[in-house]
Amino acid sequence: MSIHDTDRTLASNRMIFEIRRDMAKVQRFRDDLEGCMAAYGLTEAERQAWRALDIRALAALGVHPYFLPQISRLFEGAGYNHNASPAARLYAAKMGVAEP
Amino acid sequence: MGEIVAATALSHAPGLTGWLDRATQETQRALTEGYREIGRLLRAARPDVIIGIANDHLLNFPPSNVPDFCVGTAARWSGPAEWFRDWLNVAPYELPGHPDLAHALVREGARAGVNFAFATDLLFDDNWSVPLAFLTPAHDVPLVPIHMNCVVPPLPAPARCIEVGRVIGEIVRRHRPPGERVAIMATGGLSHDPGGPKYFAVDEAFDRWFLDLLAQGSSERVLREVTLERMAAAGDGGTTELLAWLVALGAVGDRPARTVCYEPAAALRCGMGAVVWPTEAAARG
Repeated sequence: MSIHDTDRTLASNRMIFEIRRDMAKVQRFRDDLEGCMAAYGLTEAERQAWRALDIRALAALGVHPYFLPQISRLFEGAGYNHNASPAARLYAAKMGVAEP
Repeated sequence: MGEIVAATALSHAPGLTGWLDRATQETQRALTEGYREIGRLLRAARPDVIIGIANDHLLNFPPSNVPDFCVGTAARWSGPAEWFRDWLNVAPYELPGHPDLAHALVREGARAGVNFAFATDLLFDDNWSVPLAFLTPAHDVPLVPIHMNCVVPPLPAPARCIEVGRVIGEIVRRHRPPGERVAIMATGGLSHDPGGPKYFAVDEAFDRWFLDLLAQGSSERVLREVTLERMAAAGDGGTTELLAWLVALGAVGDRPARTVCYEPAAALRCGMGAVVWPTEAAARG
């Protein structure tokens, strides 16, 4: 996966972009994933990937790589994000990337 | 005419403030001392303002509209953006901007062929919050932040980045009030790959090669050897943040950079390094 695989037009990219700029939107995302996905017009393939927290599938659909670990932090929290943190472990497990 | 009185480029990885205790004692010591040394050098140069150049981590520009270079023109800045506070472990801070210099960069940049976007509402994440915590912890030096595109292809080419830096340097030297003291601070890099296959890896060989190249002080040589492809091979999700360093090189001119510290800090998921360039003021003693 590479930054060159990004689909800038993918609705998920817009959704993540906007959520991170506004903590009220972070909360809305955590409270109501379905409503959030509908509001941003995600495709059914995107929605299925989000429901399954399938970060690898989101990458394949064209989510920018920089957003992928942030997805893990949306679900597991962002604080003290060292390599053995819940968010980093979630990312590694979902992406099949070896932890150090 | 203004003067560049200090110039530095340094990594801004969030682990430096967020989870440095997970790195080895040696890495903690080397980075802390190195960044503090740069802070001392920067403050000793008594800059009136810092021009910062760093990647915008897809925070301010939506995927639909990504400028290559955007100058922050506000009179006042604050950070970190709320979502990033826990991650960075950096308390909220404010610092002054410098609209007069920022407007000059936009205005004179256009005359020199650089189409700077500009904005007063830029959100800050690790790009400024991490280095400033070490360099100007009192947040008392005004900042003109230039957010650039290092990760949304197509990226500005290395030659373009050096050219934009050269224009910034010329504007400072030719179009600013006499005696204005400007520091250049590029942040980002070295090798890292957020969200990519090398997320947990550091490419120490690349990092040392890049730092050695900067030590030779030849932008021509840098242009010959530092390609986007070479940077991407060391981690394409983040290593191209070194384009910001090339902007700084362009602003400073062909002077050898001194590496102040380097640590291949896998615990921080980043090759962490920092350089300073000797300035005309320093050369005069």
